[in-house]
Amino acid sequence: MGGFWIYGQWQEGRFHPVVYELLSVARRLKPALKEKIVVVVLGPEDRREEARELLRYGAEEVLFFVHPDLGYFRDDLYSEVLSEAVAERKPAVFLFGATAEGQALAPRVAGALGLGLTAHCTAFEVDEEGRLLQIRPSFGENIMARIVSKTRPQMATVKPGVFSKAEPVDEPEGVLEEVKLAAVPGSALRRRVVRTLPRKESPLSRARVVVAGGRGLLRRENFDQLFELAELLGGAVGATRPVCHLGWISEDHMIGVSGETVSPKLYIGFGISGALQHTVGIEGAEVVVAVNSDPEAPLMKRADIAVVGDATRILPLLIRRIRELKG
Amino acid sequence: MHFIVCLKPVPKPGAVKVDPETHTLRRESAELILNPPDLYALEMAVALKEKHGGKVTALMMGPPNAADLLREAYALGADEMVLLSDRAFAGSDTLATSYVLSQAIRKLEPYDLVLMGKASIDGETAQVGPETAAWLKQPSLTQVKALWPEDGLWVAVRFFEGFEEEVEFRGPAVITVEPEVNEPRPPSLKRMLAVRALEPRVLSAEDLDCNLEKTGLAGSPTQVLGVFTPSYDREREVLTGEAEEVVEKLVSLLRTRGLI
Repeated sequence: MGGFWIYGQWQEGRFHPVVYELLSVARRLKPALKEKIVVVVLGPEDRREEARELLRYGAEEVLFFVHPDLGYFRDDLYSEVLSEAVAERKPAVFLFGATAEGQALAPRVAGALGLGLTAHCTAFEVDEEGRLLQIRPSFGENIMARIVSKTRPQMATVKPGVFSKAEPVDEPEGVLEEVKLAAVPGSALRRRVVRTLPRKESPLSRARVVVAGGRGLLRRENFDQLFELAELLGGAVGATRPVCHLGWISEDHMIGVSGETVSPKLYIGFGISGALQHTVGIEGAEVVVAVNSDPEAPLMKRADIAVVGDATRILPLLIRRIRELKG
Repeated sequence: MHFIVCLKPVPKPGAVKVDPETHTLRRESAELILNPPDLYALEMAVALKEKHGGKVTALMMGPPNAADLLREAYALGADEMVLLSDRAFAGSDTLATSYVLSQAIRKLEPYDLVLMGKASIDGETAQVGPETAAWLKQPSLTQVKALWPEDGLWVAVRFFEGFEEEVEFRGPAVITVEPEVNEPRPPSLKRMLAVRALEPRVLSAEDLDCNLEKTGLAGSPTQVLGVFTPSYDREREVLTGEAEEVVEKLVSLLRTRGLI
């Protein structure tokens, strides 16, 4: 009974990077929560050795549910197997990566068992009662919310790329517990075709320079100048959610809670007030420059360089100046 | 065919006021709009109706003044408008919200599919779709890009990271629609005029036979303990002056730090 469970999501026969990130979260919280770290894996038995590998990254147990039908993710089937496991073994915590699969699966488990679920957490704490405080940005200007679950397990999804990956441990001590399922429920979903998509790795996530714009740029034509600046600086263009909805740019460029996480050497935000829904995506930026006529805007307060002025004027001037310098 | 599209009223971006004392949102003060990602779900349903016949029901949980947003959905092609409004729904988290929606969806039987946007722009959880499916004990498919009927079954194309999958299933089911997969049509003037004379059907907790222990704050297992503003203790340079002047200062700072 009990345990700090992590969903062991597969990705092309290996584990998704977020599984290692969740392991580092679990290991960091271990002294306060004192729960056994368990990665729950579903799959056919030939995945056993891959599953065992997780013990090297600090899992104290890999709970491996085995059945030939568990070869690929199906929402209804996977959630039924997990819901049954949760009902039987009563973990204290259950975390999922906020990937497409995790976001499809975790709420089905929560809904089936009537459990609380907090989406896209960016930090965790443990309070004096031993509860897991789930921290995520809240809608609006610059606030983070601390959320607790009244139900057990305390469930949350965690945005990939926010936490560092767990390092291998010197002497793995955990065990692989293999649970052979005699039968699994049928699935209503039948996969006909799978198409690999060209790895659309966003240029944003690896960009050295990110220039981003918000509604303070007022018009699409102003926003479009960001592409010129990005090209001059060898960088990528980012955006806030509202400008994506204004249709100035596609959602691929959105930075924040449900968009990209960036960690450039230089981030420049033009006309961005700095709602946390955006700024959680730039936590990893080394130098943050904000350009805004309102010196009190949250992004201006957290910037390393706060430029007070009209972003629509400063952007073209900056482009001209840099162009001059580059000759 | 009967398509139910769930729509969420959300505060207009930028219009949210934060109470300076309590740091909580003053939602009542904000202008409400249709959650933009839901428009792709509505468009998908209306296009399916136009091609294969049937009707689209726009379903919304919200305050009484959200009725106008349902009229907007009508102008965008919905045929029926249902508003779930009750004080007992206030403070619902995603589990309680999906419970209320599932109770309403049962009342709207028979139906073929329930469609929703991928996520709302305020909560940004993407949880209500699969949670509603769990209450209804039906299949759920998230991040759907395309959807069509074929030999009595449905076929959906859905996105995952790095691949997409074509899945076959039997309805009813709950679908969440990936943003930007279609072009939501502009509102029809004719429908805008027609809807003036129409009132959405309003259903209360009692109408839905809701167990009040499962709605609102009582039915919400997640609880916000408090909110805080993160502080950043960084050494900060503030550049002020004429635009030309601050650009000059900025460029020289960035050059000194080897950033450009």
